[in-house]
Amino acid sequence: MPHKPPTQEELERRKIVGIHEETITDVSSSDYPHTYPGEDHSWDIESFKRNFRIEFHQNDPFEASFSLIGCDASIANAFRRIMIADIPTLAIETVFINNNTSVIQDEVLAHRLGLIPFKGGKEGLHKFLKWWRKPEDESQINNSYYDFNTVSLRLEVKCEHNEKAAAGETDPTKLYKHAHVYARDIEFCPVGRQEKYFSGDNAIAPVNPDILIAKLRPGQEISLSMHMHKGVGSDHAKFSPVATASYRLMPVIKIERPILGKDAEKFAKCFPKGVIGLEKVTKQEAAREGSGYEGHAGEVKAVVVDPMRDTVSRECLRHAEFKDKVKLGRRRDHFIFLVESTGQWESDAIFLEAVAHLKKKAQDLEKQVINMVR
Amino acid sequence: MIIPIRCFSCGKVTGDLWEKFVKLIEEENLTDGDALDQLGCKRYCCRRMVMTHVDLIEKLLKYTPDGRNYKKIEMQARNQEQR
Repeated sequence: MPHKPPTQEELERRKIVGIHEETITDVSSSDYPHTYPGEDHSWDIESFKRNFRIEFHQNDPFEASFSLIGCDASIANAFRRIMIADIPTLAIETVFINNNTSVIQDEVLAHRLGLIPFKGGKEGLHKFLKWWRKPEDESQINNSYYDFNTVSLRLEVKCEHNEKAAAGETDPTKLYKHAHVYARDIEFCPVGRQEKYFSGDNAIAPVNPDILIAKLRPGQEISLSMHMHKGVGSDHAKFSPVATASYRLMPVIKIERPILGKDAEKFAKCFPKGVIGLEKVTKQEAAREGSGYEGHAGEVKAVVVDPMRDTVSRECLRHAEFKDKVKLGRRRDHFIFLVESTGQWESDAIFLEAVAHLKKKAQDLEKQVINMVR
Repeated sequence: MIIPIRCFSCGKVTGDLWEKFVKLIEEENLTDGDALDQLGCKRYCCRRMVMTHVDLIEKLLKYTPDGRNYKKIEMQARNQEQR
């Protein structure tokens, strides 16, 4: 018997992960060879090009949300992991403490400084600055710092009494000078060609100038210099360009049999706002036989408006009145990404860089595989 | 002790939120939930960083060499008055 090709409806059904009251079904993808007899699901660049889509939902400088539609979880996850751990950023790596009489210990202070995200000229950060490598001979370390691999910063603050403070003042920020040390007190010291790349608006400066680094009292002092280097998130989380880069699968809500009247209102309350809408049953719908709307013209019915906003809480499956009327699921090939940048990169640029990075990794692997079979 | 620079779980900057948070609660009488919403803390990991923070550094700041000096001067003045 010749094999019939699957209908479009069947293909759609295969993409859905089933979400039931207690269980999750059809977790793995099935669009690869030898899953369905007589069907060829081998990967093909042309069909991938035809089906693959990217849609942007939100594209703010430091927060982007977009959908990758028609790709496998392995690819989407590779992008996510590259964004978190493989995209280089500049951060404070070494702190030279000259004097620290504050109540924050040296090592804690150095750790806090390291976590502060910095911004600067894009060309200088991405093209001019190169990796710094610790020399094998430790005595040569002072000869390893150049303008293209190290950025110098300084922090000099001393807390003193403020003579101008009003008598009886209790607010320490008014009573003393420099009672609070902020990220904006950090001073950038350009060296060599850094003047060209990091001047004016392009200067290296903290993204959030109001970060509280330490608190001081009169007589206490912090005096230190810092070296910044390029690094990746897999080495230390401070180098990660994203606060979060995550994806979730597109929720699918299918109303199989009509939900009407009071039930429809209750149904809408089972979901976050905006997911389920209420519409009036039209005369045409009521006239159609077998639709389930016969004789219900003018009543409200529940319709799915925006499944993307759903959190898939499964609340609607807990109620007996919706039994067998609704089916929940998630689309296995629709990834909704949320990328939140810490400020050194623009969030959409992080994703583009991740794509370039994956391509480079694949090309490196290709070379090695070719060498292997030779 | 002092507000952490970043959220432990996701890495969002929280170091600049504590003072704003205290201000919103004390001056505008907001509830902590509303204040966190205004500060842009969406996830519960970042919210707990700010909400459950105890600013213990304020207590340590009392123990300064300078502070001891003031106590001494105060005591000496009191002793002189008694004489």
